[in-house]
Amino acid sequence: MRPPLARAALALYPPSWRARYGDEVLALLDDSGGGPAAVASLAWRALPAWFCPPRHLHDRPARMRASLATALISSSMLAGLGLVFAQLTQLQGITVPGHLQVRWAYAVFDVTLAISALVAGLGGLPLWLLMLRQAWREQRTRVTVYLLLPVIAPVTYLAGLIVTVRLVGGASGVSQGWFGVITLAGFAAAATAAAGPGLALRGLQPRGPALRLAATAAGVSAAVMAVAAVAIVVAVTSLNLWARQFAGYHDGTLSGIYLALVLGAAIVTTVSAARGTRAALTQP
Amino acid sequence: MTDRLDRWADPPLLVLASLADEPKHGYAITQDVAETMGVRLSAGTLYAVIARLEARGLIEPLESDDRRRPYRITMAGAEALAQQSERMSKVASVARERLSTRLGWAGA
Repeated sequence: MRPPLARAALALYPPSWRARYGDEVLALLDDSGGGPAAVASLAWRALPAWFCPPRHLHDRPARMRASLATALISSSMLAGLGLVFAQLTQLQGITVPGHLQVRWAYAVFDVTLAISALVAGLGGLPLWLLMLRQAWREQRTRVTVYLLLPVIAPVTYLAGLIVTVRLVGGASGVSQGWFGVITLAGFAAAATAAAGPGLALRGLQPRGPALRLAATAAGVSAAVMAVAAVAIVVAVTSLNLWARQFAGYHDGTLSGIYLALVLGAAIVTTVSAARGTRAALTQP
Repeated sequence: MTDRLDRWADPPLLVLASLADEPKHGYAITQDVAETMGVRLSAGTLYAVIARLEARGLIEPLESDDRRRPYRITMAGAEALAQQSERMSKVASVARERLSTRLGWAGA
């Protein structure tokens, strides 16, 4: 058995599995002189090791950190999509007489988005402060910058937005082209702000009550955000069916793409956060 | 047909049976299973089984300075093996009896 091949097959396994059984598997392959078939079998068996990892190898803090990092990115995308929704519908004063569900959807969206952001902020704050202190004490400049990105990115975006609107905006706001640019820049800023803490989680590998609190809060926040996503679906579908005079914003194809993105982000956020919360609430 | 039926051999059961007499490491288990039960276990299959049996508390690892860590069957593992052996023994007994009635087969 050529070790590089065996090592490559082992690299397909989850890190905790590799750490526990990797050396033993290599020793067995050395002893038995297994060929390509043995390596292929080893590689194939990596798949169930990811989907059904043995219980005694569960690294709960690692699961919580990975779930938090994913949920941060997907929830920031969902929030961005929600803000686009708000900008293109309720802030334009678009309502549909005789269809109260649109007004209700606006109200539900506003309340749930606010609650979700509040829960995530309050639940994540202790962990963020803890990591900031650790990074500061250990003089890890890069990690400190990662942790400050949730502040730096939105402030930079808002400053850029004000300057752009002043330069290119008219009496009726900005053109559709500039609106697209501003929206894309907003998503980039949101992704950057969310990626910062995710990278810091990877670098500092925190554990303990603050991590459990953040993971639990992420689960609650994601559940509330899922309700906001449902409100978006209800409002956009209703506007598409009964307010076609506002076409342009509510074109069927564009609405379909938009709703697919909302549902995709909502599913990823909910599943990731639920996995993290489950790990946080499970007794060791 | 015989080859196809061989695939029904349950790898966890083979590993438990191999460890029933004394602790063994991975290579010793594959050798024992091949020699006494006629089944070749690949490294991937063996360690998937070892991980599962260890998680269920049916086997346990022993201390080792070597890369070749031995495993020992636990009390729970021995009980599970005994129950399964009993079931298999009944199946084998019924199969032999009916085959001998029908084909006059006297067994191996």
